[in-house]
Amino acid sequence: MATDPRELAAPTTPDPDLVAVLTELFADYRATRATPTAVVDLDRGLWRRLEGLGLTRLTGSESAGGSGGGWVDAAALLGLAAAAAAPVPLAEHDVLGGWLLEAAGLPNDGGLRTVCRPDPSGVALNVTWARDASSIVALWEDRDEWRVADVAIDRVGIEERRNLAGEPCDTVEFDLDDLEGGTVVAHAIGEQFHLRGALARSAQVVGAMERVVEVVLEHVRAREQFGRPIGRFQAVQHLVSDIACETALARAATDAAVARAAASDWRDPGMLFAVGVAKSCVGHAASVVVRGSHQALGAIGTTLEHELHTLTRPILARRSEYGSLQDWDETLTALASSAGHDRLWTLITTGRATPRRSDA
Amino acid sequence: MSARLVPPGARELPALTELRLEVRAFLAEQVAAGAFVPHVDTWLTRWDRDFTRELGRRGWLGMVIPTEYGGQGRTYLERFVVTEELLVVGAPVAAHWIAERQIGPSLLRYGTEEQKEAFLPGISRGEVVFGIGMSEPDSGSDLASVRTRAERVDGGWRLTGTKVWTSGAHEADAFFALARSAPIDPAHRHDGLSQFIVDLRAPGVTIRPIISMGGDHHFNEVHLDGVLIPDDRVLGEIGDGWSQVTSELAHERSGPERVLSTFQLLAAAAQAMDDGRLPTDPGLGRHVARLAALHHMSFAVSTALENHEDADTAAAVVKVLGTTGEGDIADYVDTLTATGWALDEELDTLLHAAILQRPGFTLRGGTNEILRGVIARGLGMR
Ligand SMILES: Cc1cc2nc3c(=O)[nH]c(=O)nc-3n(C[C@H](O)[C@H](O)[C@H](O)COP(=O)(O)OP(=O)(O)OC[C@H]3O[C@@H](n4cnc5c(N)ncnc54)[C@H](O)[C@@H]3O)c2cc1C
Repeated sequence: MATDPRELAAPTTPDPDLVAVLTELFADYRATRATPTAVVDLDRGLWRRLEGLGLTRLTGSESAGGSGGGWVDAAALLGLAAAAAAPVPLAEHDVLGGWLLEAAGLPNDGGLRTVCRPDPSGVALNVTWARDASSIVALWEDRDEWRVADVAIDRVGIEERRNLAGEPCDTVEFDLDDLEGGTVVAHAIGEQFHLRGALARSAQVVGAMERVVEVVLEHVRAREQFGRPIGRFQAVQHLVSDIACETALARAATDAAVARAAASDWRDPGMLFAVGVAKSCVGHAASVVVRGSHQALGAIGTTLEHELHTLTRPILARRSEYGSLQDWDETLTALASSAGHDRLWTLITTGRATPRRSDA
Repeated sequence: MSARLVPPGARELPALTELRLEVRAFLAEQVAAGAFVPHVDTWLTRWDRDFTRELGRRGWLGMVIPTEYGGQGRTYLERFVVTEELLVVGAPVAAHWIAERQIGPSLLRYGTEEQKEAFLPGISRGEVVFGIGMSEPDSGSDLASVRTRAERVDGGWRLTGTKVWTSGAHEADAFFALARSAPIDPAHRHDGLSQFIVDLRAPGVTIRPIISMGGDHHFNEVHLDGVLIPDDRVLGEIGDGWSQVTSELAHERSGPERVLSTFQLLAAAAQAMDDGRLPTDPGLGRHVARLAALHHMSFAVSTALENHEDADTAAAVVKVLGTTGEGDIADYVDTLTATGWALDEELDTLLHAAILQRPGFTLRGGTNEILRGVIARGLGMR
């Protein structure tokens, strides 16, 4: 009867060597970067350093010049970079753009990429880092087919805008000729794009929230009022405890979706639910974490020179990308209500309402 | 990165899922056969000794108790999936819950050989039913202040005092009573406490019902009037009571019963939305998402406990989030309903029960305020 626990549960943790390298790299980055600014531009120096370590194409296949990493490692990289508020387009360039090029069988010269989904008139809104890219990977649906094109930056019109985090978040206008044709990709690719984007954003927001918890803890231990550290007041302890709990819940949801993606190479039909759970928990956590952390920090946390906004602004900017919180809650509502009374639990444990015996 | 509050997640593998589906299939049959009516908060409010014994026959009780004591000798992970399946279906599990969850493991850890042999096989068969006698009229969150006295007498101890909120005492065979076996030393308040195994039918025990606000009888006041406890019914060592009651907290606080008490209501609400009896609302998705994340988190804590890792803070995180969420589900469904709107009776029954049980969710087993303090300590703030 005695069962080996290893046959019952599989841990899903990133490669410890990679985590060690990343931790050191971003600690070094944090220690040497300039003071925070309201407007945030691409850090090309950091990008080149990441490139030198093979981290900008972490998930690219080795035959295509990538490092052959999986989603568990990629999520760790995205999270740690976000915790350091590193202004680099890792999500856009690697797990989204690089992946789309590979899926379409298009060449990748390694130049900086961002991604977007232009509308039928050739316009794409809110394209992060567009002005910094050497070319833009476009994905669109045309007469029931998904198509991909890699369009050089000098062939698009760019209206420069910035998101809530102060990062480049431009409007891109394509020449419709460049979107004529393109390379047809499988339906699964087109449908996965939104999920991959949503999960990448979740990993980034969780990483940033974990750093917020640290920043808050450092502050409430050091700041004294009424003759003692403010962290000794029970009201402050409860505020911080709530931030930490929400962050932990968001982490659990995100890690579960990442593990499911990694175990099935995104083929698991439960991915929509798993990503939705992550996006929902992360998005609601963001409300608690941003509000609570600014409350705990007092006035200093509202200043330009303080690190806090370099985290809270991207947290809010990214939680609204690849579907608003409301969109995702509605998606989950639709899945849950169509699962109905008898299949809701199956949906929660497997990600879909019709179970197969082989997985949960 | 700061030390993680909650251990990293783990993926459930097919061997575990197989057990899950086996339990699920059995429970579906039971529901179809009308063996029980699914309900909310069944681990506190639904007693069915026959059902409990049937679970024992199937090997789904005493799962982590070694086979030499009549248990199944299985893992915490297997126990986890069995308990999850029992809770989501709203099965009547209160008769064995306390014994299975905490009395068994405590006996295993602190009990004498004779005590283990006396109680563990019965617990594993679902025949011996236990309660918990910790709280008193003047000792709630501040448990170390208990006043029940244990006085040394020839061959044992005499217990005198009053326990309250004792869930199921009127149905149970015995309970663990926390009592003061030495006068309080204000400098060492946690010393001088001991736990005793009290036969609830022994002379000197008086059990009076305390009726809950919905009119039901779940918990009790238990008077102990010089109840004689023989030496062989002292749990472990005299004076070790505090470390005994605090050492098993991770098991008591991180389980799926801290998350799933209102699952049947949420499932009924999902159905009602699909049928158009409740308005479609994104709040449903939000609650489902939190529940799914808590399912992963609670599993992660079980994995850590299986590996004998410390998980006290993580368990407090699960309990704060889980009990808040299960209560919020009750309130959420209530906000969707309109007076005079013809809901189906099933949803109505579940909703009313959930709302009346809700206040207890964030109190029992350590209040959420106390648990936030535990988390703050885990974060190094105190
Ligand atoms: C449904 C239910 C079943 C129960 N079953 C059992 C049982 O079987 N056996 C048993 O022994 N007990 C049982 N209990 C009792 C339970 O353990 C106590 O309710 C709990 O420990 C809280 O104690 P109290 O109710 O006396 O509240 P109090 O301790 O008086 O607390 C009242 C309020 O003050 C807050 N508070 C207290 N101290 C602090 C502090 N230091 N900092 C901040 N806030 C504080 C609390 O969080 C709470 O909000 C049960 C309770 C319920 C509701």
